[in-house]
Amino acid sequence: MQSWRRKSLWLALSASWLLLVLLGVSPLLRLAVPPRPLPGAPQGWPRWLDTELLQSFFQPGELPEESPRPSRAPSSNGCSWEACFDTSQCRGGSLKVFVYPAAEPTSEIHRRILASIEGSRYHTSNPGEACLLLFLSLDAPAAEASPVPPQWNGGKNHLVFSLHPAPCPKTFQLGQAMVAEASPTVDTFRRGFDVALPLLPEAHPFRGGAPGKLQQHSPHPGETLLALAEERGGWRTAGTDSSTCLWDGRYEQDPGPTQTHPRGTLPNATFCLIPGRRSDALRFLQALQAGCIPVLLSPRWELPFSEVIDWTKAAIIADKRLPLQVLAALQEMPPARVLALRQQTQFLWDAYFSSVEKIVHTTLETIQDRVFGASAHPSLMWNSPPGALLALPTFSRSPRDFPFYHLQQGSHPVGRFSALIWVGAPGQLPLKLIQAVAGSQHCAQILVLWSSERPPPPKEKWPKTAVPLTVTEGHRKVSDRFFPHGTISTDAILSLDAHTSLSTSEVDFAFAVWQSFPERMVGFLTWSHFWDEAQGCWGYTAERANEFSMVLTTATFYHRYYHTLFTHYLPKALRSLAEEAPTCVDVLMNFLVASVTKLPPITMPYGKQHQEARPPLASGGSGPEPQPPDPDCINLMAAGFGHMPLVSSRLRLDPVLFKDPVSVLRKKYRSLEKP
Amino acid sequence: MCASVKYNIRGPALIPRMKTKHRIYYITLFSIVLLGLIATGMFQFWPHSIESSNDWSIEKRSVRDVPVVRLPADSPIPERGDLSCRMHTCFDVYRCGFNPKNKIKVYIYSLKKYVDDFGVPVSNTISREYNELLTAISDSDYYTDDINRACLFVPSIDVLNQNTLRVKETAQALAQLSRWDRGTNHLLFNMLPGGPPDYNTALDVPRDRALLAGGGFSTWTYRQGYDVSIPVYSPLSAEVDLPEKGPGPRQYFLLSSQMALHPEYREDLDALQAKHGDSVLVLDKCTNLSEGVLSVRKRCYKHQVFDYPQVLQEATFCVVLRGARLGQAVLSDVLQAGCVPVVIADSYILPFSEVLDWKRASVVVPEEKMSDMYSILQSIPQRQIEEMQRQARWFWEAYFQSIKAIALATLQIINDRIYPYAAISYEEWNDPPTVKWSSVSNPLFLPLIPPQSQGFTAIVLTYDRVESLFRVITEVSKVPSLSKLLVVWNNQNKNPPEESLWPKIRVPLKVVKTAENKLSNRFFPYDEIETEAVLAIDDDIIMLTSDELQFGYEVWREFPDRLVGYPGRLHLWDHEMSKWKYESEWTNEVSMVLTGAAFYHKYFNYLYTYKMPGDIKNWVDAHMNCEDIAMNFLVANVTGKAVIKVTPRKKFKCPECTAIDGLSLDQTHMVERSECINKFASVFGTMPLKVVEHRADPVLYKDDFPEKLKSFPNIGSL
Repeated sequence: MQSWRRKSLWLALSASWLLLVLLGVSPLLRLAVPPRPLPGAPQGWPRWLDTELLQSFFQPGELPEESPRPSRAPSSNGCSWEACFDTSQCRGGSLKVFVYPAAEPTSEIHRRILASIEGSRYHTSNPGEACLLLFLSLDAPAAEASPVPPQWNGGKNHLVFSLHPAPCPKTFQLGQAMVAEASPTVDTFRRGFDVALPLLPEAHPFRGGAPGKLQQHSPHPGETLLALAEERGGWRTAGTDSSTCLWDGRYEQDPGPTQTHPRGTLPNATFCLIPGRRSDALRFLQALQAGCIPVLLSPRWELPFSEVIDWTKAAIIADKRLPLQVLAALQEMPPARVLALRQQTQFLWDAYFSSVEKIVHTTLETIQDRVFGASAHPSLMWNSPPGALLALPTFSRSPRDFPFYHLQQGSHPVGRFSALIWVGAPGQLPLKLIQAVAGSQHCAQILVLWSSERPPPPKEKWPKTAVPLTVTEGHRKVSDRFFPHGTISTDAILSLDAHTSLSTSEVDFAFAVWQSFPERMVGFLTWSHFWDEAQGCWGYTAERANEFSMVLTTATFYHRYYHTLFTHYLPKALRSLAEEAPTCVDVLMNFLVASVTKLPPITMPYGKQHQEARPPLASGGSGPEPQPPDPDCINLMAAGFGHMPLVSSRLRLDPVLFKDPVSVLRKKYRSLEKP
Repeated sequence: MCASVKYNIRGPALIPRMKTKHRIYYITLFSIVLLGLIATGMFQFWPHSIESSNDWSIEKRSVRDVPVVRLPADSPIPERGDLSCRMHTCFDVYRCGFNPKNKIKVYIYSLKKYVDDFGVPVSNTISREYNELLTAISDSDYYTDDINRACLFVPSIDVLNQNTLRVKETAQALAQLSRWDRGTNHLLFNMLPGGPPDYNTALDVPRDRALLAGGGFSTWTYRQGYDVSIPVYSPLSAEVDLPEKGPGPRQYFLLSSQMALHPEYREDLDALQAKHGDSVLVLDKCTNLSEGVLSVRKRCYKHQVFDYPQVLQEATFCVVLRGARLGQAVLSDVLQAGCVPVVIADSYILPFSEVLDWKRASVVVPEEKMSDMYSILQSIPQRQIEEMQRQARWFWEAYFQSIKAIALATLQIINDRIYPYAAISYEEWNDPPTVKWSSVSNPLFLPLIPPQSQGFTAIVLTYDRVESLFRVITEVSKVPSLSKLLVVWNNQNKNPPEESLWPKIRVPLKVVKTAENKLSNRFFPYDEIETEAVLAIDDDIIMLTSDELQFGYEVWREFPDRLVGYPGRLHLWDHEMSKWKYESEWTNEVSMVLTGAAFYHKYFNYLYTYKMPGDIKNWVDAHMNCEDIAMNFLVANVTGKAVIKVTPRKKFKCPECTAIDGLSLDQTHMVERSECINKFASVFGTMPLKVVEHRADPVLYKDDFPEKLKSFPNIGSL
């Protein structure tokens, strides 16, 4: 063999050797030395070799069981909703409540609750047709023995309502009755059957009530992190560094700059620490109003309306045994969460707790939701503004149908509107108006509410329009213009008066604006309210001013849901008030929408030519209508609502190029600028 | 392979004596070496599965080989379950104190086989499902193998089905667990509780303080906030693939598919069928099936045979009636089929009811009202039914589908109780993914008009235009509601002018020097900002009047969750190029405002700095442009609302810039801005900007009204 051959063979051999050693050794080593699990690496549940052979826990052959039908007698433990409440008595669209008349002597609060329910849609005076019988047990438990009420029937379908934590009068057995009491202890509370009420301070307003105290969304940079509820009823705050000492009230270290706030004053802190004792439940509501996020340490009492309110959105409920972890969690809480919790406290306070009336209505609404079952309020309606008392499930159960939830639902209001023309007094047919409105491409239908003494003219007298025009007659009452007419098929309503003068361009622009603000009233003519120092009462004026708080329903877009709310939510007393004075209807509608949205209405520029056409408002009733504002009206309304809901605005929404120095041809809504 | 290596060791010595006749020998040797090489190479580069590395650390054993533990007949038995147990009384939360990241740690006892004194096993060692469950926990973030750090203990004793175990002996087995301690922090999983004749609704095994994750709790046995109600797993879930069926009308309105129903219930159902005809279908087990056909997968009505569970997809509502037990596996099948369950089981605690909102996916009918069921269901509007169908399917996918889903949801619920401040929200539990994507939760949702007295903080971003800056400061300081002025000095090469040179103004003036010349510095949440309202203003915006600024602040108070600005801009879809275009002409619409002069809530500074999605912040700083477009995107995306442009258009250019502001510069600027919009839209995955046709003016703007009576007379002057 030649040497080059030998050499090359040598080379090839040694090269393969090297490769073999390099590649082969490490896996060989791995094979030779079985790896030990690394210390610290989790060992985990073993993967069994015979996993496939394991039997199922549930043998298909093992079909149980034709068991005896279980007895339906309530167990000795107490009652549950299915076992003790008879829903067959509940018919119709809303819960019918019968309230036992007060036994003598009655307390003021008793009388007022009675009056409030009587004025509401829940009330029935016939115990036979009632779904729920309400027994008010408001007076101190020391009161003398009350007799068993006449329709008691073992307490079936009864609710014993007590604003005090003390249990119901012991004079008769509760039987199958539900109990609504303040801060019930978790041990005796029957979930889904009883109702937990908040523990109220002695002087809680009956109606309206003070709004939440929060003035800004986010905490002020210098704000104290934590306030601690003190035993005597005050609050103690401390700087963030020393707040650890607040726990258990021990002062082993330097307590730091603590500050004691006297009883009754609301704490100015981001979080309010409330111990779990039942007596501290009072502080919970206080913190809620102050916008101080309640931190509850293992509360022994049931949170108010816990059945429907998601308290995790407004409070921190933590274990008292891990205080340091809780404190650390509060300090590290992301700003987004703090922001959300703060705002939720204010919403809940205002929606359900600020007055006794709201608490009573929330209780009834909770029970109505149980009766309604599938058509009850979804959780979203309870837990986001404006709250379940203002979102009636009888209107719709789908949040998309309401003006409030489009953002959360990712939806939009339907892109057309229905024009509603109210013809009150005899006169010319609103032909021009009908043409102008029908000219809008967004108009879906025109409804004429003919409420004049004279019959409406025959069909051929009405103009031919591209959209369907319906004339409904026989409505005489002013409040009927806000009746939820079944024929209205769109989300938006354009409320008009026979005397209103509008152009198509104005209608189009207003509708475009309304689509951005579907929960507000979007109108042209404005009024403003003011506090009359001299008279000590509210007043309102139609004079043009730098701000406004109401828009006239003679030319206004709003959501059709407000018709339902107007008719079914408002107390009878307020509606009949509006019947008497027609201008009062406008005020009432504005009050209603403002109390729901807590926001001002929106106004747009209104052509001068129209303003001259309309009779001067404030001059004193020279034209047929609208009449001059009746000063009494606004004060009666404010009394009826328990507060002044109107909010003033200083702005007007104009088209983007409104009166800008640019060619008029570029402008979409040029007719709004006509002199 | 080992042999060849040995052989080769002697190799080199042979070679020198090599002869031609040895050629064959050499070739053999060579090929052996080559073969060895190929073998090792293959071993090296063979794709190893990911688990294989795990496999080495996990012992491979047979279930039959597990250690046997003999339980003496007199070994201790735990107390019966304590009905008054709550997390704060029976749960030792201190054990969870050390768990990092607000996550509980779960320990699993190793598997043993328990036998009594006579060697008779206490139960089947472990079922397939319980093995799956423990595997799922072991694979999750909750798992720890360190018994000393664990907060929750899961015994490997399988109690999923009470019928497969001996009650007393199982209890004894539990009691001898090393950390049992009266069952504190122990979690038992049970799906089929009770046994004949009375079928208790909770596991009969005495378990003292142990938590029970049980299927079929009633209100009387369920300890609210302590136990966890879980579904009864349906093994069909794994066997049958039912693709989601879109909402819409289905053949049957109401269907009952359960086999072993109490005769009284069956009578009621038959009566419903008789009354409502074809829209109601009541199925039963098949009696006439040929051999070999799986009877669990068939249902019959008279002689008609239906495939189960496929038939469930043909019905809108499906009855889930209680049997001897309250919890029924059929619930899982029904949800999987997207059929709305009609649950008829008084006092039954629905699975995961602590967190799941069953009103959205089911109808609960009291047993007494069974005969009214049809009319109750008919009163539900079609749209709501469709939503419930989708919700039912989503519940199944998220929480019923597999043993793993059930196990993890159970642990999440317990975790949320221990760390409530880090708990998962109602929406995260209940909203289907499609809703989660489309919904917007405005961070400033409370309708609140901040008091005017708070005022605003003006933030002026400047580089070196001192003269212009001083003019801006002087102008802005005339605005009544200004409460503080913050100058962000973005020039690192030059110090800001001496204090004495600054204009004297009535509010505090602070200068912040930045470390780097970045546009993002304008939106940093400086501690100095004490008011909620922030006015971002460029150092060349000298043309805004005091009235205009004050009015802008008033508008912001009415819309505190929006960007309220002066110059407006628009984005447009360019159909030719199929992309977004930036527009600054006189248009009838706006979708953005420039932050060269805009009011906004200071929370958006926090969002811009810390929560801006993707690489937008870096893009802005790298391009030295578009920080305002980014802010517009961010605010519109979190609030779902449009901007508010205030007051009429005016010329927004500084007098000294006009000279260099050539046409070509303008065009590249526009191209760059358009690019930003396209870039941001792709990062956000959507176009969040909202287009509106309105702007805000004072109520009496340009009205025929005495100027001196107007609140904001000086508006719109050029």
